[in-house]
This record gives sequence, C-alpha cells and structure tokens, in this order.
Amino acid sequence: MEPNWAAENLQTIRTLMERSAVYRRALAPIMLLAGSLGLVAGLTGYVIGWNTTLHFGLLWLVTAFAAVTGACFVARRQAFKDGEPFWSPPTRRVVLAVLPTWLSAAAMSLTIIFTNVVNGELVLTLIWILFYGFGLHAAGFFMPRGIKVFGGLFVAAATLFACFLPVLLAHFYVNTNILMAFFFGVLHLAYGGYLYVSEKRKQTA
Amino acid sequence: MNPEPFQLLDRVIHEKGRLAIMSMLAASRELAFTDLRGALGMTDGNLTTHIRALQQAGYVAVTKSFQNKRSLTTCLLTPAGRQAFAEYINVLEQIVRQNKPA
Repeated sequence: MEPNWAAENLQTIRTLMERSAVYRRALAPIMLLAGSLGLVAGLTGYVIGWNTTLHFGLLWLVTAFAAVTGACFVARRQAFKDGEPFWSPPTRRVVLAVLPTWLSAAAMSLTIIFTNVVNGELVLTLIWILFYGFGLHAAGFFMPRGIKVFGGLFVAAATLFACFLPVLLAHFYVNTNILMAFFFGVLHLAYGGYLYVSEKRKQTA
Repeated sequence: MNPEPFQLLDRVIHEKGRLAIMSMLAASRELAFTDLRGALGMTDGNLTTHIRALQQAGYVAVTKSFQNKRSLTTCLLTPAGRQAFAEYINVLEQIVRQNKPA
C-alpha cells in the first residue's frame, strides 16, 4: 500500500472541508448591480452638486442600502433557482464577517452626517472605502480568493489616500462623488465583468 | 509497519465518495443535496446511493422540506456520524505518525 495515502487522504479531507465552508453564489451579477448603482449615484451627485456632508452622506447611505438589498435579492433568487436555502451556513459566515466593520462604518457615518464635521464628505469617503475593504477582506476568508484581494485593494487605496490627503488637497480639487463613483462604480463594474467571464468559463469547463 | 490502525478504519467512511460527503458535512451544519452534488461533481444516483449507505450506518440524517413550492433535501451529520468521522481522522493521523521516519 502507498505509504503516503493516509497523509493524502487527510489533505483531501481538509480541502473538502474548506470548500464546504466557502460561499458559492455567483458574484458577477451582484458586483455588476453594485457597480451600476455606484456609478449612477456618483454621477448624479456630481451633476446635481451634492457635495455638502449632509447631501453627500445621505445620497451614499441610500445607495449602499439599495446595493445591499439588491445583492440579497440576487443571491436569494440564485439560491431558490438552485434549490438551496438562502440562509445557508456559508452565507451566515459571510454576513457575520462583514457585519462588525460595516455596522461600525454606518454608525460613524450617521454621527458625521448629523454633527457638521469639517470636510465631512472627505472623512466619509475615507471611512467608507476603508471599512468596505476591511469587510470584504474579512468575508474573503469564506469566499473565493479574489474577494480578499479586492477588499485589500480598497484598504490599500484608502490608506494611501489618507496619507497623501494634505498634499492632494493643497494641489487638486477632490470631488468626493467622482471618487466614490470610481471605487464603488467603476471598480465594481470592472471586477463584475471579470467575474462574469471567469464564472462562465468555469461553468462551461 | 503495525497493521493494527488499518483495521480500525471505518469501512463505511473509508470509501472515497462517502469520505468526501462526510468531510463536506463535517464542515457545515447542514448542506442541500444539490449543493453536495455540485461541490463533489457526483451524479444524482451516485450521491443518493452513498447517502443511503451513510444513513443506514446512522451517520447522516436527511430531511425533506419545501421552499418556494420546490422540494429541498438537506443532509447533516448525526452525532454518531460526527464521532465516527473524528475517530476516522484520528486513525489516519495515527497512520501518518507511524509512517513518519524516526
């Protein structure tokens, strides 16, 4: 008998157990939906000129709520179509992973929006990009690997943005709606497009 | 090599397909039949046969319910199944230790 078979069996068991814990809903439609909403909200805010902390904050909180609700509907529809429960253990793990950071960001946002913080819209943008990244990175432990990288990208971008903020503000005009449209619109659409192609390829393989 | 640990391996779990099912269920509280089928790439018939064998051994419980007017079959490990799986892993680890060069 092959002497390594027991070790190989243990490795197979470990791989299967990890795979069992991974969230498997197709993420492409969710990313594309979130990206479209982000782009529309960013451009709307820019065109109408909602740059005050209150208007900017409320616009993006409503957009975030719409994106999360939409994502839940898409995931629920996929689950029912596949004859699987929506509130499955992997879904529960993903929700529990993102919940602390996203709830914390929401609470801080409401405080900033309603307390007239100086440059509140910039602070909000930073908080949202950073905490959204933290949430995705945490959820990435229970999702396909790409999500962790995508979340890490948001964290890295927000950190760089925070480090160079004084320089940026001194030399450039920073429109927060355009910034949000880039991160929550363009990047999501790009990642959604990539996932759409790769998930389709996986299905046909 | 001491052959004793080999004899301790649970024959019901040791089959490749059933071991895969047990591993998936051990990591989740419960899994839908379709979820298992998709993850393991098994046919309906193959998966049903293996699940039936595990059910007969008392390792897996199957529940049928309705969700949005569609039937939903879910599988979960019983306490006996969880214990048998843990013992199987222990035996494998024992074999690995035994095979390690001193």
